[in-house]
Amino acid sequence: MATLTPRRVGAHPWPAFAGFAVAVAGLLAMVVSLFVPIAGLFPEPWPVEPLAYIGIAGVVLGLALAVGAYMTAGERRRHSNGFNGVDDWSRLTEQQFETFQHDLGRPMRRILGKCREVRGVLAATGEDVSIVVHELLDEIEEQAPSFRLMMANMQVMINLETPDAPAECYPVEPTAVVSRIVERYTGQAMEQGKDIVWWSEPEEFGLVNSDAAALEHIIANLVDNALRYGGDYIEISTTRGTDTFRVDVTDNGLGIPAHYRAHLFTRGWTPEMGRSEEKTSSGLGLYISRTLAHRYGGELSVTSVVAPLPGHCTTFTLTLPVGAPDA
Amino acid sequence: MPPRSGNILIVDDEATSAIVRAVCRRLEDEGWSTRVVSKEDYGSADDMLWAALEAIEDRLPDGVILDVRLGEYRDDHFKGLDLLKRIVSDRPHLPVLMFTQYSQGVERDTVARSALQVEAPVEFIDKLASPEEVALRMRRLVGAEPGTIAIGSRIVLDGDAGSVLIKDAAGQLTPVIDVRGRRFEILRELAQAWYRSPGNVVPFDRLERYLEGDDARASLRVRIREIKVAMGKALEQPMGANDFIVSVRDRGYRLLPPRE
Repeated sequence: MATLTPRRVGAHPWPAFAGFAVAVAGLLAMVVSLFVPIAGLFPEPWPVEPLAYIGIAGVVLGLALAVGAYMTAGERRRHSNGFNGVDDWSRLTEQQFETFQHDLGRPMRRILGKCREVRGVLAATGEDVSIVVHELLDEIEEQAPSFRLMMANMQVMINLETPDAPAECYPVEPTAVVSRIVERYTGQAMEQGKDIVWWSEPEEFGLVNSDAAALEHIIANLVDNALRYGGDYIEISTTRGTDTFRVDVTDNGLGIPAHYRAHLFTRGWTPEMGRSEEKTSSGLGLYISRTLAHRYGGELSVTSVVAPLPGHCTTFTLTLPVGAPDA
Repeated sequence: MPPRSGNILIVDDEATSAIVRAVCRRLEDEGWSTRVVSKEDYGSADDMLWAALEAIEDRLPDGVILDVRLGEYRDDHFKGLDLLKRIVSDRPHLPVLMFTQYSQGVERDTVARSALQVEAPVEFIDKLASPEEVALRMRRLVGAEPGTIAIGSRIVLDGDAGSVLIKDAAGQLTPVIDVRGRRFEILRELAQAWYRSPGNVVPFDRLERYLEGDDARASLRVRIREIKVAMGKALEQPMGANDFIVSVRDRGYRLLPPRE
């Protein structure tokens, strides 16, 4: 199994180090000036050894640089922990969202739990109930994945709008991520008479340096869209290259016309907007997915063959670096 | 699903909640035995933590389902993570599926994972997941396939006996005589991949290992056709190109349980 070193993208302590290095060099120059006079190299008058002047300048400049760097970092820390300026909104929103998510998630879990219990009891007793009851249970369970994704989209959105939020990379097995998504959507796909298939090239895909949660979030959005708008066959493939790996999510739907494709990644845009119909989704999924892809040094693109052309289909391609992206 | 030997330990402060009961029922339907360590039995989150560690020592479960939150007190909200760290430290190969209260965010997994070993078979799932998803995830985490795999409600693949059985309306099992030897091995390979992860395509070369001759691909096509014909006869339903074993262009084959 390949071993990759986790790294953090975005931390830059070098200005402070450089400042201290200049200050130390200046101090050395002052000390050296006591033992190695170079006054003869400079025109008179020099009240003190010239090397000492250079040393003093180095110490002052270096300390100023170091203090400046430290104060800038402190300001950033205050912004991310406190409640000032733009970051206040993000932090406050995140905390409110935590409460909101808990308060909304709890009743949802209870509803879903009761729904499953009713289904279990009906299966165990064989009781003959109205078809409406089954339809209601189906409807509740079918909406659950969309609800989960919507909650996750809101959370990721807040995170993306938090300035200086770190993009963490660590060893990830992309095929395990794809498996998880297939597990999540298999039941829903079967209910709708649709099929989800996945494969990887090579079969033993190995590890990449990425963020499993971000990867899962992007692919989940693509599969959710394919189930919602695509055909009855969805194929997820993961392919490893030398420097990058790609995940393709293809569906055999009618395809997306070019004039729609231009808006797909626009925040808030949904296909219904092009037809002046009521929106059935938030239109945030693809916007968030592409933003996440960029954040991790990758790209999300789309190609589509539109019906009535033979082989009509839509493929969303996510490309990400195998190693961590450069800061 | 025929009984399997594995057992799953569930650690959750809400053992009587509908969600936990539904998960237990689904796992038991799959043939796992389950035991729940809950707050109702042990009172405090700390007592639950020690009871869970004791149960792991005693029962040597195949997998653990663990709630992040082991109580309503603020200190208990992430108590499950303390238990997780102990499990990963004591038994680094024990699969753990961690229930989280919230939907997934970019940082949540990262924070939790940062304290763990990368190789530890630990995954996170939110409580809105369906019992089917929990069972599928547990299957993959545990990894080892059971001796017998039920494919839908009528087909049972018996790995120990090396045969495929068809269940009739009375529950009587009849072997499919024409699916034995290499044909059985091919079908088992496909069934195991499907069991681990539904929709997973088995590459051609993996299946061609069971065949000889110059043109293994053509030979594989013939064997697949023979399996489908035999299964179609046994199930008394014709098998088309998109039934039971389906070719995925240029990649391989996958198993598709008969629709019911």
